[in-house]
Amino acid sequence: MMVKFDYLRPKTEMELATLLSKHADEAKLMAGGTDLLVLMRDKILRPRYVIDVKGIPEMHKINYDEQNGLRIGAAVTLNEILKSDVVREKFTALWDAAGTLADPTIRNRATLAGNVCNASPASDTAPALLVLDAEVEVRGEWGERTIPIQEFFKGVKKTALGRGEFVTAISVSDPLSGAKSGYLKLGRTKGEDLSVVGVAALVTNSGNPSARVALSSVAPTPILVHEAQRAFEDAGSVDEKIEKAAAAVMGKICPISDIRCCKEYRLSMAGVLTRRLLKKLTGAS
Amino acid sequence: MSKHRVSLNVNGQHYDVEAEANKTLLRLLRDDLEMTGTKCACERGDCGLCTVLLDGVPTKSCLVLAVEVDGREVTTVEGISGGELNAVQRAFIKHGAIQCGFCTPAFILVATALLKRNPKPTEEEVKDAIGGVLCRCTGYRQIIDAILDASKST
Repeated sequence: MMVKFDYLRPKTEMELATLLSKHADEAKLMAGGTDLLVLMRDKILRPRYVIDVKGIPEMHKINYDEQNGLRIGAAVTLNEILKSDVVREKFTALWDAAGTLADPTIRNRATLAGNVCNASPASDTAPALLVLDAEVEVRGEWGERTIPIQEFFKGVKKTALGRGEFVTAISVSDPLSGAKSGYLKLGRTKGEDLSVVGVAALVTNSGNPSARVALSSVAPTPILVHEAQRAFEDAGSVDEKIEKAAAAVMGKICPISDIRCCKEYRLSMAGVLTRRLLKKLTGAS
Repeated sequence: MSKHRVSLNVNGQHYDVEAEANKTLLRLLRDDLEMTGTKCACERGDCGLCTVLLDGVPTKSCLVLAVEVDGREVTTVEGISGGELNAVQRAFIKHGAIQCGFCTPAFILVATALLKRNPKPTEEEVKDAIGGVLCRCTGYRQIIDAILDASKST
């Protein structure tokens, strides 16, 4: 049996801001609810109020234009993202990640913003958002602000959100033309499971080739590995750059052993997946 | 705990019910409306046996609050075919795609929704679509064959 709570369903962001400011310490926000309801059933979370954001029409919008880039409202589901041709073509890492999260039925409910706010070290979408340099749009009763995704994850299940603040949308600027991105997930099974390791990368092939690499399930938070970007920019052939970037990833991460696998396997596979993904994105053999 | 009036349509029939905030759609269907075709197993979104169609979309009913379905349409296995067995159900029987039967309602629902959205799926598309439902008897081969066969007869 689930814990007892009062259910609230505001119709505007303003109403939500007021409710959350009043009940911040006793409330949990619900988007898809696919994590929250399980945690309340297990009595790990015991909020007095559950505030459902799905009653707010603005939060269901997904917009794109070349000037402002992509903006995904906090109540947009992963399957809605997967239906977007723009996301598949221009923000491929996010599209790949959305398609590997949990399973297709869960993805009819689970949201991008929920996955980000949950701040799990194993988040599938976080590495993609890190390489795409996404921004988290945040609102509170006092007004609005934007938090770069690199500053959003503060620890296991901890975010940079302050008291009474909530996420309204995730936005991503248009990547440079010619940039390619992707996400690879290693799980124990093809679906339903959290990742053993997840790797996202974004490669720009024009001019001086550059690469951004981010991972999940290898540290207390999803991480962007700056050292991999610097290693990739070193002189050398593409194959050498890829080897250096993979070595930089393995040097930086600090995976743990858990129910899914041991830390040695995670460390090794983080290198393998980084290499595999960068080869795919650069077209190297 | 807050209580809510919920008006919903289940299998074409209108219901007005009162639900406490923490009641899931799964519990509403099974305990209040006594429709036990929707199965309760893990109750944490893993197994998918509680899958129903919410406005036509496969949804795990253990992860939906009853209060959230106010004004919406729910289809359970009891209402999937409106009397006669549908093509998917007939194909499941033909292919022996039912072993213990506990996962069958969920597979029938996701398969019926798939064929409505994509009448001629590839085997890969069938595997993707059923990815949210687990069969502990592991009879996936027959289930996939049945769904592909049903797609030929529609």
